[in-house]
Amino acid sequence: MIAASLAIALALGAPDPCAPVEVARAPDPGAAESYRAVGDAERAAGSHDTAAAAYRAALALDPADARSRAALALLCAEEARDGAFERGLRRMQAGDRRAAIVAFDEARAARADRSAALLEGICFYELGEDERARPLLSEAEADPAHRNAARLFLGLVALRAGRSADATALLEAAAADHRLGPAALDLARLARRDGRVVVSVLLDATFDSNVDLTPDRTADLTREGDASGGATVLLRVAPWGDSGPFVRGTAVLRNQARYDALDLGGGGVAAGWQAGRGGGYLLGEASWDYRELGGAPYLSAPRLLGAARLDGGHGRSVGVAYFARWESFLPASATAYSGLRHFAEADVTAELAPRTSGTLAWHGGHDATRDAALGWWEQGPRALLWLPLGRDARVGFELAYTWRTYSAFDAALGASRQDRFADLSTVLEQELGERWTLRAALGARKAFSNVPDFAYTRFVPMIGIAYTAGIL
Amino acid sequence: MIRAAALLALGIATGSAGAGEHLLAGARLFRAERWAEALVEFRVAERLGDSAARGYAAATLVKLERPEQAVEEFEARGAPPPGRDPLLDYYRAVACHDARLYVRADRLLAGIGARTGPGIARLVADARAEIAAMLRGEPRRDAVEWYVARCEDLDRAGRRVLARAFCDEARGLGERRADRYGVREADAILAKLGPMAGAR
Repeated sequence: MIAASLAIALALGAPDPCAPVEVARAPDPGAAESYRAVGDAERAAGSHDTAAAAYRAALALDPADARSRAALALLCAEEARDGAFERGLRRMQAGDRRAAIVAFDEARAARADRSAALLEGICFYELGEDERARPLLSEAEADPAHRNAARLFLGLVALRAGRSADATALLEAAAADHRLGPAALDLARLARRDGRVVVSVLLDATFDSNVDLTPDRTADLTREGDASGGATVLLRVAPWGDSGPFVRGTAVLRNQARYDALDLGGGGVAAGWQAGRGGGYLLGEASWDYRELGGAPYLSAPRLLGAARLDGGHGRSVGVAYFARWESFLPASATAYSGLRHFAEADVTAELAPRTSGTLAWHGGHDATRDAALGWWEQGPRALLWLPLGRDARVGFELAYTWRTYSAFDAALGASRQDRFADLSTVLEQELGERWTLRAALGARKAFSNVPDFAYTRFVPMIGIAYTAGIL
Repeated sequence: MIRAAALLALGIATGSAGAGEHLLAGARLFRAERWAEALVEFRVAERLGDSAARGYAAATLVKLERPEQAVEEFEARGAPPPGRDPLLDYYRAVACHDARLYVRADRLLAGIGARTGPGIARLVADARAEIAAMLRGEPRRDAVEWYVARCEDLDRAGRRVLARAFCDEARGLGERRADRYGVREADAILAKLGPMAGAR
């Protein structure tokens, strides 16, 4: 959005200095002299378009005016450079950043042009080629007219490289420009929460109207509600920023108010590599999760995940993700649920307006449990919408529908189970400061099943506070 | 279109013999949205002695997206002073806004008040609302510093009229802060720059 505005702001229409000049019916060398003087003054001021208009008027009135002709010829030669700049702008606005880069390069080859450097730097940034973007943006930063815009994008580059302190400083400096201010300050806040080492803590209070669906595999249901308090701690280390290797550790603890047997504890570790950044990347990750339930070992689950996102330009992207998780339920009564679980999803995501984004996705999964009657295939759509609520808050809505078919006839139930789930969740996030976020959420599920015992309605309201900080 | 028609009418009314012809040609080209050629005609009219042409040239510079040059034209010696023509005052305010001189722009827009028709009045109200939103809250220290730095850069480049406008803006922003950050520094530079004929 900012890049597009800059491109439009830098676009200028101009008379063509290379076009043939039509001679006036009544030549007037005296008047021509006035036009030539205006042309000289405009050219000296660097206003080539008005200079061209003035010289053309002078030549129309006095075709013998050699000085105007020579000046116009020079402007025509310079037009080749400006033409490249204009072409770059058009290609950039059309979303063809590679072609825009070629044109801006051409424009800069003719002479130092910091406008072209800024836009070429932005193109490289948008392509995720930050190493090539940085010197161009630094060049543009030397021009006072482009300084703040260049700092904004240099800040974004630093942010993606995990240099949170540099990013914060650059983005705050860019905010000196009132037009860039709100976006730059939001990004500066993001920078404070990002970095090569990020720690995040979420404390929450939750009520679950159907608590013994946690975990949701238990068939022996009481349909009771219970409140709980939870804490989640996450530590992420990405030494090279967004693009490169990363490791992650998580710890979770949830204490139920009434059902101690459902107290949850555990953690996980993950290591992976992301190649690329921004709208386009490839990601691979290996992880392992461990959970205890009621103080006893419950689940051990190594997982392999792969994801890719393709940048479609104009804030649109297409993503796919897949994981395989080897789930081992440790209590003897639950081992039949163990097995390999697959999940895949494809989505289209679009930035609809500033701070407003929408996602449409289709997901599918298969749980190959040890007891085939407990395994299933499922698939369905999902839609997600994020909207801003003033400067410091946003609200998200998610809708999903899932069709699940179990893999085999369940003798105990006397049926081949078939379930459907309608899920709705909404979350409100209110920024409370540089690193604190208040989060309130409401999740709801309506489950339908051909086995009446498995049809239920569940509400899960939650309120929590999160602290996120980039340490390095 | 209303604005261009008004300009055309004014061009006819104020033009002197030879210069008036160019002023009129400039107004026609302005109305046809041929900004570069319109500017050339206004410049020629100016060279031929029509002092009214400077304000129209400045308005055309706004259209050509050269706001800093437009501010220089509007503030320079011989330019029409604010208050004489609400239409030119509006363009002057737009030039200031586009050059990021928001406090100055708002001051000009406030001065237009009820001296104009409903079309311009609506534009003025919209622009003032936008500026009010932008200037809401205490200005940041680094925003004040940016204007002082820009003022110093322009002074070094010999563009003293514009330098003065930026220091004046720094001063205006500083005065909106409880600690008046930057006001003394801006005042010192303004004193060094001295009064400008067209500055207000």
